[in-house]
Amino acid sequence: MNRQTRLFSVLGTGVLLTALSACGGDDGGSAGNANPDNPNAPADAGTSQPWILGTTDPIVSIDPAGAYDIGSWNLQYSVYEQLLAIPAGGDTPEADAAESCEYDDPQTVTCILRADNTFSNGNPLTSSDVKFTFERNIAIADPNGASSLLGSLMDPDSETPVMAADAIETPDDTTVVFHLNKPDLTFTKVLSTAATSIVDEDTFPADALMASDQVIGSGPYALSQYKVEQQAVLEANPEYTGARSGKANQVIVKLYKEPSSLRADIGTSQVDVAWRTLSPVDLADLASTDGLSVLNGEGSEFRYWVWNTATPTGKQLAVRQAAAYVYDRTEITEDVYDGTTSPAYSMVPPGFAGQKESFKEVYGDAPDVDAATKLLADAGIKTPVALNLGFPPDKYGDSSVSETNTFAAQLNASGLFDVTVIDDPYEEYKENYRKGAYDLYMLGWYPDFLDADNYLSPFIRDGGFFANGYSDKEVNSLLDAELGETDEAARSEQFGQLQDLVARDVPVLPSWNGKNVAVSTAPMTGVEETLDPTYIFRIWDIAKQ
Amino acid sequence: MASSSGSLPRYIAIRVLLVIPLVWVLLSVVFLLLRVAPGDPVSAAGGDRLDAETLQLRREAAGLDRPLFVQYLEYLGNVARFDFGSTFRTGTPILHIVRDLGGATLTLTVGAFLIALLIGIPLGRLAGRYRDTPLDVGIRLYGVVSYAAPLFWVGILLVVLVNKVATGWPTNGIVDPFILATSDDYTRTHILLIDTLLAGDTTAFVDVLQHHALPCLTLGFLLSGVIVRLVRINVIQALQGDYVEAARARGIGEGQVVRRHAFRNALVPVITVVGLQVALTLSGAVLTESTFGWPGIGSALLKYINERDYIAVQGIVTFFAVVVVLTSLIVDVINALVDPRVRY
Repeated sequence: MNRQTRLFSVLGTGVLLTALSACGGDDGGSAGNANPDNPNAPADAGTSQPWILGTTDPIVSIDPAGAYDIGSWNLQYSVYEQLLAIPAGGDTPEADAAESCEYDDPQTVTCILRADNTFSNGNPLTSSDVKFTFERNIAIADPNGASSLLGSLMDPDSETPVMAADAIETPDDTTVVFHLNKPDLTFTKVLSTAATSIVDEDTFPADALMASDQVIGSGPYALSQYKVEQQAVLEANPEYTGARSGKANQVIVKLYKEPSSLRADIGTSQVDVAWRTLSPVDLADLASTDGLSVLNGEGSEFRYWVWNTATPTGKQLAVRQAAAYVYDRTEITEDVYDGTTSPAYSMVPPGFAGQKESFKEVYGDAPDVDAATKLLADAGIKTPVALNLGFPPDKYGDSSVSETNTFAAQLNASGLFDVTVIDDPYEEYKENYRKGAYDLYMLGWYPDFLDADNYLSPFIRDGGFFANGYSDKEVNSLLDAELGETDEAARSEQFGQLQDLVARDVPVLPSWNGKNVAVSTAPMTGVEETLDPTYIFRIWDIAKQ
Repeated sequence: MASSSGSLPRYIAIRVLLVIPLVWVLLSVVFLLLRVAPGDPVSAAGGDRLDAETLQLRREAAGLDRPLFVQYLEYLGNVARFDFGSTFRTGTPILHIVRDLGGATLTLTVGAFLIALLIGIPLGRLAGRYRDTPLDVGIRLYGVVSYAAPLFWVGILLVVLVNKVATGWPTNGIVDPFILATSDDYTRTHILLIDTLLAGDTTAFVDVLQHHALPCLTLGFLLSGVIVRLVRINVIQALQGDYVEAARARGIGEGQVVRRHAFRNALVPVITVVGLQVALTLSGAVLTESTFGWPGIGSALLKYINERDYIAVQGIVTFFAVVVVLTSLIVDVINALVDPRVRY
């Protein structure tokens, strides 16, 4: 055997051993409920095989005071309890750490905690922890955090963010009374968001974020490992006494930077479920792959074209309305997004109380160039109208490029507009749109909680997050009214009026609603059920058979 | 009589001292470029949901409203004390990032270099020996394509190919998620490949090795193009040397002439130049890590650039700069040892 032959033999043996060893392995099995004494646990708790969830949603922080994004919130839902929780497919908060939370009046909410609540480190969860949680979140006011959702508890007279002195009352260990600074019927829904995840006052610092790999909660899972941008490992919490006990005792959330990598791994079943954010092309491809299912649930993601109502072009009402006549949403949702999104004719997604398709009522669901032409002619506006259309290609995925170009082509094809498309990196873009660099620009939104107000207040009250210069006294007044309205029918009526006003003034063109899509391997159950408009991925409800 | 200006210790001392201005220039350029780029750590963190007034308050709290020169001097002062600061969002010390993620980047680049050498040297030698033949043309074409092909494109193609022919072979990350879940004990050297070996965990070691295959092959492919061309040209030059002619005149066969005379001499300048490819390797590592979800310093750098985390980016770039400068220093010293003429 010469030297080369020996070398090849050694290399060949190495490769063979490597390949053979890859065939082995044991990823563990089920071991039953981690807390057999939990009377609230479902019968099948702990019966599932461990499984892996793949996602491209980044995790900013697992400390509830430090995140306001889907990736972080979804881990937090597993690690912590909130006072209330939204069940799969539902929109009404139910018991979680609290047995109940009821309005005494539109400014007072009383919650009664479950008596046997315990954090995963063995510390009892009491009303004092709840008060600490809210106080801390408001005081830290982290730039990435969601303390802005707790505005109803803040001291309106303070220049710095601070909780009002009498905002939370804790008469005993299991009672929490919230005194709101204004009537707010969305507050119990805020109590179901991850922003209000309850933390242990003996563990978490009061004025700083806790390192993500050190966090302690009272949720169905404890975080046993967190490696930044790699994975988070969830182990069943043996102290958990609630009703959300996990089907699997171990779940790994694998984090991907690139959708293409996630697509490759779900395509070969190296992860069990892929959730967010695969492209329409990948989803179509995976749908035809043996052993995989592409599951579509109701979604509530929104994409808008926002008018800057202060630019010379954007401030002309007839121009904004003409674009609403010309816009063909169906071409975008069918051709660009391959049917994975639905045309949006309202600021509020379908299925929400008070939702009304005002844009369809006023401008129709198909392009009407004649109506747009007449409108501009009547207003004495010379055509084509020069229009800057801005979008950030690095923010909303590859399809947003095609979406923008398609929309621009529609406007140009009408002969009424002369569109200049401007693409800027997101960091530059978000400064630019606030400065009025674009007449019309793309923005997106995911809900904090399922209430029509969450799709209206943040945007149309004096421009809000849109920063588009739109302000209308009637709109502001209606928003104040619906927040304190206890009669559901009257509140729905107010939402309808608000959507009509938006369709009249067109400060924004609602574009599409996204679906909540996951790809699942054959042995997985419970995935489809959790795909609802909350975008809460209920890891505890999912099993690998 | 030997000149004192040509002494090796003096040469090394001068080269070491030159590292300081080199790093200073790099730091200054990175510092300025980051400030010129749109956005800042505060707006990147919460700019979507905070109004302009709140953003400004937070910039002031973070000290970002101070004059640029003051920030610059403060940063240089900290670096001079080997304090590279902490990340804006999580407060993680930069040196911890380098320690925790450096091992993955190290094994990726070393593996890629080995693959590049395994591919590049034999192909370059063949191309040099069979100059201007179809074989040479083919190998030269390979050299150009491998160097010019976008790294992420090659990576994605390899992933697609492997998924077709070897389903189940890992294409993302550095280790199987279930093994990683138990990996908190593997921190002796912070180099997973070595730590799994030291722990005697052969399953984990083999798994980590498998995960190295595609990223190393992708980055090695890029580097091999450079090496092919270097080896080829040096073999051609060596084959034109008088000593080669002399060897041929002595009746030695062409194969032996190439192997024993031309090739060995051709490798000396190749080793020097290959050593200087560290910068190319590190820039390639950034893209490779991003493509394969590799938990190294390169992907961390991209993350911090997106977050406009000035301190983290400056710290990591400084680390890269020091690695490149020290490598070139070592190469220069080796070169000086081998060839005394370079000291003058």
